[in-house]
Amino acid sequence: MDKNIYKPIDAVVEKVITETSNIKTFVLKLKEKFSFATGQFIELTVPGLGEGPFTPSSSPYETEKLEVTIMGVGGITGKLHSMKQGDLVGIRGPYGKGYPMSEFYGKEVLILGGGVGMAPLRSFLLALLKESGKFKKIILCYGSKTPGDVVYKNAFPGWKKEKNLQVLRSVDKADKSWKETEGLVTVLLDKVKIKIDNSVAIVCGPPIMMKFGTFKLLDIGYKPEQIYLSMERNMSCGLGKCGHCGLGKYFICKDGPVFTYDKIKDIPGVWD
Amino acid sequence: MSIYYLTKDSWKRLLTGLTETYDIYVLKENENKLFYELLSKEDLSGDGKIIYGKARSVQSLKSFFHLYAEDVSNLKNEKVKRIIIGVKACDLKALAVLDKMFLEGDYIDPFYKEKRDNTIIISSDCTEPRDNCFCTLLGGKPYAEDGFDLNLSPLKEGFIVEAGSDRGKAVINGNKSIFGNEAKETLNEDRARAREKITGKVNNKNKDFDLKAEFWKDLSKKHDSSAWAEHSEACVECGACTVVCPSCYCFLLADMPEKDKFKRVKYQDSCQFSGYARVAGGATPRPELYERFRNRYLCKYDYRPESLGIVACTGCGRCIEACQGGIDKREVIIDVLKRKK
Repeated sequence: MDKNIYKPIDAVVEKVITETSNIKTFVLKLKEKFSFATGQFIELTVPGLGEGPFTPSSSPYETEKLEVTIMGVGGITGKLHSMKQGDLVGIRGPYGKGYPMSEFYGKEVLILGGGVGMAPLRSFLLALLKESGKFKKIILCYGSKTPGDVVYKNAFPGWKKEKNLQVLRSVDKADKSWKETEGLVTVLLDKVKIKIDNSVAIVCGPPIMMKFGTFKLLDIGYKPEQIYLSMERNMSCGLGKCGHCGLGKYFICKDGPVFTYDKIKDIPGVWD
Repeated sequence: MSIYYLTKDSWKRLLTGLTETYDIYVLKENENKLFYELLSKEDLSGDGKIIYGKARSVQSLKSFFHLYAEDVSNLKNEKVKRIIIGVKACDLKALAVLDKMFLEGDYIDPFYKEKRDNTIIISSDCTEPRDNCFCTLLGGKPYAEDGFDLNLSPLKEGFIVEAGSDRGKAVINGNKSIFGNEAKETLNEDRARAREKITGKVNNKNKDFDLKAEFWKDLSKKHDSSAWAEHSEACVECGACTVVCPSCYCFLLADMPEKDKFKRVKYQDSCQFSGYARVAGGATPRPELYERFRNRYLCKYDYRPESLGIVACTGCGRCIEACQGGIDKREVIIDVLKRKK
């Protein structure tokens, strides 16, 4: 019997964590076995309303539960934000190609994240930290609009203690409580000491931040093939069939969502 | 290649037998247009109502395999065995695009596959091209060379029948008493002459469209042409071009509440609509009409040839005939290729 590729598996909301005024993390317990590679995404069903693509923010080594961090901006995300413990959702996936972890062994891994773009990067960072010794160095540069918009506030103190990990943070607009950098996330790149020849940069954030982040990385000497972007577009099926996430000849859901910049840099409208 | 010759009477005897197992769809003419309809008893007893040759129908094969709306909540157990008769070469080529999208890669669409697996396709040579037919500009022919189970070439008072698949051969082998022995080689020559003649007719209809062989390969460099915006001014964003297109595969999964569960429906979608690529929050990569207009061309002539290895336009001309703005794809392409900017 063929498999119904459009049918989700059931999941229960086990916990809802409020990250910021418009971002929440949902801890989901799945009713069937499920595993993913970091960087891959899922289609999350709100029963009767529809689906949306999200990249898990939990570690790929965590197999009991799955976490997704979601900003409330539209119909489905709005409904998700009203959900409570015990509510039912559905999941399809995992889809797409994730980060090629083994290619990063022995390298200095620079993570450049902005806003809720930290969600997939948290999963990636947790995967890196699981085998921390295999990487020369890990640097996280994370930018938010204001101190109140920082996600995973409770995780940062622990990350700052990690030996092989350097954490730099910025906010576009600081307040009195903020002791770290003020400015766009790209200013953090001026502060990092990194051997670019032996480095890869992993970028995820709002489109405008991805664009200028990539340009800044190119400016400081990264080659397009060293820059890994987590691209996004409207997606419906997640299977490389429905057409919505087309980017030139690629379907982001199937050929990505992670692309090195050299693969997509010449596609008109890549940042739109 | 082995061919058989059947008179119309023998052919009808074959159909009569096949109706016991299959739902059979045939072409009927209405106001100079062809439509697929379920074969009726009258069709078998009466005469001359079924159309085999002429040109492509109004509906493409998409309406049999990639439905306008389909409940995909659960797999279905009912299997309907069908035969579709009178399919033209352009639509077979378009079906190859749908096959690549739905049957290849890491995921197979079980709803599409079930219909494909249970449908026998009997194509037939064109005999009268429509005004907007342009298969030959795409390197196609007005007769099928592959992709069919059986192909019919109308000749005199009957058909030359050729099998193109094991499924087609099984039909012949299961009805040996009707098919009899293989036809003489000379019939092959008669068919070749008829085919040459019809190809000439299609070429003649397109003699004013100056497009060189494999013209689509040059479109990838024409993204910035000013012609896109100019021609898109006539577009009213109705999406008819993508609805009638035999190779447009885009769809949207939409959910709706149903009792204590929910229903998931796969709807055909169109890249011509402004909401097509819109993400949560309202941003879209193609906010302008001309960008969506251009996308249909680039998808068919640049993106899909790159990703699937085949051109996703077969020259059936349906989009030209359906366009409310009177846009002729051939003219747009010629203008885009001609302009420096």
